[in-house]
Amino acid sequence: MRPSTVLLSLEQTPPLAAPLRFFLTAPLFGVAAALLAMWIGPGHMGSRWQPGVLAFTHLLTLGYLAMVMFGALFQLLPVLVGVRLRWPLPIARAIHLLLVSGTLLLVTAFLSDADEWFVFAAVVLTLALGAFILVIGHALWNACSVHDTVCAMKLAVTSLAVTLLLGLLLVLAQVGSDFAPRDLLIDLHLAWGLLGWVGLLLAGVAYQVVPMFQITAEYAPRLRRWLPWAVLLLLIVWSLSFLHLPRLAWLPGVGLAAAFMVFAVVTLQLQRRRLRRLPDVTVDFWYVGLLSLLGAALLWLVHQVAPQLIHPQLFHLWWGALVLVGAGGALISGMLYKIVPFLIWLHLNNRMQEAGKWQGDIPTMRQVIAERHARRHLRLHVAATLLLLFGLAWPQLMFYPALLVLAVAYGQQLWNLLAAARLYREILNGL
Amino acid sequence: MQHDVERSIDVSTLGPPEPLVLTLAAAEQLQAGEYLRMRHRMKPCLLYDELARRDYGHDTRRTVDGMCEVFIWRRGDAAAATAARQAANALAPWTDA
Repeated sequence: MRPSTVLLSLEQTPPLAAPLRFFLTAPLFGVAAALLAMWIGPGHMGSRWQPGVLAFTHLLTLGYLAMVMFGALFQLLPVLVGVRLRWPLPIARAIHLLLVSGTLLLVTAFLSDADEWFVFAAVVLTLALGAFILVIGHALWNACSVHDTVCAMKLAVTSLAVTLLLGLLLVLAQVGSDFAPRDLLIDLHLAWGLLGWVGLLLAGVAYQVVPMFQITAEYAPRLRRWLPWAVLLLLIVWSLSFLHLPRLAWLPGVGLAAAFMVFAVVTLQLQRRRLRRLPDVTVDFWYVGLLSLLGAALLWLVHQVAPQLIHPQLFHLWWGALVLVGAGGALISGMLYKIVPFLIWLHLNNRMQEAGKWQGDIPTMRQVIAERHARRHLRLHVAATLLLLFGLAWPQLMFYPALLVLAVAYGQQLWNLLAAARLYREILNGL
Repeated sequence: MQHDVERSIDVSTLGPPEPLVLTLAAAEQLQAGEYLRMRHRMKPCLLYDELARRDYGHDTRRTVDGMCEVFIWRRGDAAAATAARQAANALAPWTDA
């Protein structure tokens, strides 16, 4: 049965341009990360302390993950939480520009190792992330909704603030301050950024997006309520023990691994029992992402129990690849391939009605981004993840093929999203 | 008599935007004295503003199997409101648990 067209209120929905600029920029940074790594070469990408690896990592954490998550929050806060943002488009434009500039400055800083670039990057990124934290944080804390997603988002934004602070301390350490040992700060910064900011936000958004778009039952109320708090408390305990009782840090570390494994297993179970079992590429993206998340957690646990099995440098690179590319890339892509078509449908529907066109062909969500194109991206993503893991272990054989496929995968995503934006523009121009 | 005034729609296996669109379309078809009973797998957070804008009343309930049912009537239709509330009272109120 074809859904009839009805005029929906867009009062809660910011202009499409607000989130879309973030979503279209992110895959560009993914492509840039892959090309940069190819340019640097395997000889300088073998350890997580090397500038090339740091640049690659931040192109993905800031340029891809944060970019998409910022755009998603601009969109999801009004729709899911019922909070109206003031001046969403100017604020989104400003934060987008600062985030793009700050990321590029930071990458330049890593590659040039010049203090002034670190200082420029710190200033611009503080403005970008600081503005985002203030705007979104203010909106969240004034939200009337008591849904567990709001709580998870608050804790994620808090973790982002901690990550930013640790990043600034790292810049101080870089330019010569003796405030804190750089090595300790890096692990804290990494943990709060990936587990706190990225992990908690993905879990919180999943509480709504998985049941809504993947036609599953809801997450159990107790899990929804307690998982974010458990992750935050474990992060705090882990941070304190990492600094003061390092021999006991493995204990809260195991707790964190268990928390994310529980989230992954519960989500996989919900998806296995979907109420409508049609083939869905976004569910497949989530299978890949959740399996990568489980893989990263298991890898960490194995490394605690038997560290001699994997060389420490390789462990860190594998863990990073599984979290950033395998899990982060797949979970976010799965969300984007639902959120973007839905937003385009919503805006087109209302523009057509406002133009007095009560009958018309609004593309369905599956038509906005063709399933076969999204599936091509999925295949490329899986191939890229596997090749990257091999390439990190056997760089002479697989380094360049892995990164080439990774670049093509991000390029396919960009192509798919641009096609959706083009379709929207074409139909609008035809009104 | 209850069933004569109740229109029902089950959107529990549909993804966005179909639950919202079909529910609003079904609500527009309500005759005098009739109410709509919408069944969904989750609380339809996007629905309520749309119902308010179109001047519909609503009552959200939780079924014994954990599903969400929203009873919808036109404001000003006292008979429909009474019938809807009577039907809704057979279920537990919805709590954001």
